[in-house]
Amino acid sequence: MEKTLECFKRILGKSKKENIDILIRGIFGISALISASVIIIIIIFITIKGVTPFISYNQGLGQVNIFRFLTGRVWLDGAAFSSSLYGVGFIIINTVYIALLSLMISMPIGVLTALFIAKVAPQRLSIFLRTVVELLSAIPSIVYGLFGSGVILVLVYNFAELVGIQSKGGNSVIATVLVLSLMSLPTITAISEVAIRSVGKDIELGSLALGATKTQTNFKVVLASAKSGIFASAILGVGRALGEATAVSLVAGNSKSGPSLGLFDITSTLTSTMLEGLKETTGLDYDIRFSVGIVLMIVILLTNIILNYVKRKVGSVSVK
Amino acid sequence: MSNKRKLNDIFYQFITYISALISVLALSSIFMFVFIKGSSLLDFGLLFNDYHEKYYNGGFNGDIDFSLTPEPDNLEANEFYSSMWGIALKDAKDREGNAIIIVSYISKDSPFSNMYDKNSVDIESSIVIKEGNIVSKISYYDKPTSLTRYGAELMIKDLDTVTDIREVVYTSLGGGIRGSLLTTLFIIGLTLVLALPMGIFTAIYLNEFAKKNKITNLIRSLIETLTGVPSIIYGLMGLAVFVPFTIAITKADSANLISGSMTLAVILLPIIIRSTEESLKVIPDDLRTASLALGANKTQTTFRAVLPSAYPGIVTATLLAVGRIIGESAALIFAIGTAIKDDVSIFGRSTTLSVHIWSLMKDEPANIELASTIALIILIIVLALNILVKLVSKKFITKIV
Amino acid sequence: MDNIFSIKDLDLYYGNFQALKSISLDIDRNKVTALIGPSGCGKSTFLRCLNRMNDLIENCKIEGKIQYSQMDIQTKSFNVIELRTKVGMVFQKPNPFPMSIYDNVAYGPRCSGIKKKSELDVIVEKALKRAALYEEVSSRLKDNALGLSGGQQQRLCIARAIAMEPDVILMDEPTSALDPIATLKIEELINDLKRNYTIVIVTHNMQQAARISDKTAFFLMGELIEIDSTDKIFTQPKNKKTEDYITGRFG
Repeated sequence: MEKTLECFKRILGKSKKENIDILIRGIFGISALISASVIIIIIIFITIKGVTPFISYNQGLGQVNIFRFLTGRVWLDGAAFSSSLYGVGFIIINTVYIALLSLMISMPIGVLTALFIAKVAPQRLSIFLRTVVELLSAIPSIVYGLFGSGVILVLVYNFAELVGIQSKGGNSVIATVLVLSLMSLPTITAISEVAIRSVGKDIELGSLALGATKTQTNFKVVLASAKSGIFASAILGVGRALGEATAVSLVAGNSKSGPSLGLFDITSTLTSTMLEGLKETTGLDYDIRFSVGIVLMIVILLTNIILNYVKRKVGSVSVK
Repeated sequence: MSNKRKLNDIFYQFITYISALISVLALSSIFMFVFIKGSSLLDFGLLFNDYHEKYYNGGFNGDIDFSLTPEPDNLEANEFYSSMWGIALKDAKDREGNAIIIVSYISKDSPFSNMYDKNSVDIESSIVIKEGNIVSKISYYDKPTSLTRYGAELMIKDLDTVTDIREVVYTSLGGGIRGSLLTTLFIIGLTLVLALPMGIFTAIYLNEFAKKNKITNLIRSLIETLTGVPSIIYGLMGLAVFVPFTIAITKADSANLISGSMTLAVILLPIIIRSTEESLKVIPDDLRTASLALGANKTQTTFRAVLPSAYPGIVTATLLAVGRIIGESAALIFAIGTAIKDDVSIFGRSTTLSVHIWSLMKDEPANIELASTIALIILIIVLALNILVKLVSKKFITKIV
Repeated sequence: MDNIFSIKDLDLYYGNFQALKSISLDIDRNKVTALIGPSGCGKSTFLRCLNRMNDLIENCKIEGKIQYSQMDIQTKSFNVIELRTKVGMVFQKPNPFPMSIYDNVAYGPRCSGIKKKSELDVIVEKALKRAALYEEVSSRLKDNALGLSGGQQQRLCIARAIAMEPDVILMDEPTSALDPIATLKIEELINDLKRNYTIVIVTHNMQQAARISDKTAFFLMGELIEIDSTDKIFTQPKNKKTEDYITGRFG
């Protein structure tokens, strides 16, 4: 009886264990809230800094005209700072142009490599290649930049000389495009490969049973069924190409005006512009990089929205 | 008809093979390039050397106590020894490929172990030549100066004929990466200390504690958004938020390692959260119910029953995080700066290995050899980490099944 | 008569679906009570009410009264964690933790704050002996529990529950994942355990209910059809539905 009474007390009393639960839940919940608020902090701070050049007088340098900034064809071509000297219009065009060109190279090669790994190569070779691709996607971008600087610039320079064009040490649109396509190749290959591998065997058998050859099946049915995964890889690839900074800054050549559409012209992207020539730690020349940051985020966001829209359009007629 | 189909097939097969070949060739050429360019400079000395060379001008006051040490027997044929001065010199090449004369041996009682520093106002100051120093010039009172370009043998011959020296100009060997290596290690440590608890706690909250409702979904998607943000934007955030923050609360007065680590911690958060959450998801609910049925509370269940099974996932997350820290460059250029330092302080600027590469490549002229050597080191570390990840997850899978 | 559990008008809803309808029954102390019925009849759900494991399921709403030793366990302020140390549970699939045999048994006591090695040693040995597992594993207490056979794992889970010194052990089809020999061993064990513990067991196997239980309750579609001593249920059930079920006409 006494034992039962004691049991009563223990059961009805406020428990320490439950209090600990509440405490731990609180601590972990706060961690989660902080983790979630980081993106908001990023947006707020970059917006505050990035908007400053357009609404303040920038310590006497004058207000930057936002329309002129967005459509401008020159970026600080000279030594003196002035509010009228910053324009990113041509840089936006350069950035998107380079990203799309690099996608045009890395996409077909990456997807076909993925097809080779997933469907064509003998098993051992495909395991080996898959591992190689995985390792390659772990290589830091600065190493791609180094490779671009040490090899691609030389190749481009020599080729340009061969066809009679004077290039600036190889720094050019084409060099940047090549570096970026190399960089996104492993990502595109890896994701497409997963998408291709997950295409149901029955779809493939259905095609073969209709008398299609293996190759026809791969190209007409397998690739079509894996379309949405392949598109996802393209979106990631473009994202990487648009946001890459250090590798690009080593091969772009940092043009001050443009847009540069010729393959052997020097160029500049939003990211390389942000990295180049940062000398001040306050003032207009510093704040304006945040404005470029905002432009970069918007460009990435818009590209994603457009590509996702296209993906849905294309995906809706998929065989799946 | 059939013929046309065959041709078509061959064409498509051909482009598939060619693409795979291009991929493999292009990507393996990166390895080849880094290896060929980088391996020539790769040695242990590089890891422990300073990057910046230091210049010394040594001179002698009064009488010189000459060395009495005979030539040690372990000297090689290309090392030249002066028993009077107790020093052995040899010809070598520096990291840029220029000819230099390097001190390969110096005896304890060598007069060069007791010189005064001509650059210092303090007459009592004393400096010593150490093994590994580079002697660029020795000038005498009554003889033409010995220079690097005449070689080590001649320099020793000259030394043997004199009893006094006006000035020895020598430098420590530069071009090392000790500072950057140290910075990288500091950054890895600091970043993990910041990011791991935060990320793991968040993952545990989302997977073990949170109710399945709209707020939880919102938190998840906000964190997921972070993965799409390019690292240069994180760099801007570091510059705008963490640099002023660390200047305000620590003794730092510029961008510093702490602000860099905070920036990296933010970059790593989504990676750590996702990887930890995935490893928590795999753990069967059976374990949780069993533990709760034994009267354990949620906290005990999480820490004693769930986390021990999830630790391979957390190890994987950590290894991936380390790889990302080592490889990151753009964010750190903003958040710590690009000045290569030999004396590293967590309150000051310095470069990680990746940013060191960037700084070298941005120099005029670019030092591709040293950059490639650092890239080779980074590649070796990153590949080793990836292999480790594979091993860990393999073990994890066999354990669960 | 000494009732350890007394349940009055228990309704349970998963969202809009009513899984238990107005259940009222008493459970005797130190007896084996078997819950039988076809799949989805609510017997497992009912079992999980007794140590409030249904709390873990979102959207689960309970109405009515469940008394454990005269205490109402459905009130908000009631200490669930303490309840679960008094009302242990063994699950359908053996679910040892991926740790050593010793650590599995010591898990519960450790969670309730026992840290001393000597104390834990005594508890672990006693629990393993009571679960008739000690002989088989005494030489390899530090081995991983996942290396045991299915039957051994289930007895380990019973030992793990016993280590908490509970009053009641709830068993949710404890032998359904085991082979006949392992099943037999568990049944022997249950017979042994009822001297010290109240056991409530959910089973699919009517022979098993007949072999081991003192009382049997028959559930159908979320309702309690009949509860009586096992002999009566199996020889002269009052309800036609019970008779149909035990003679194998459905289920």
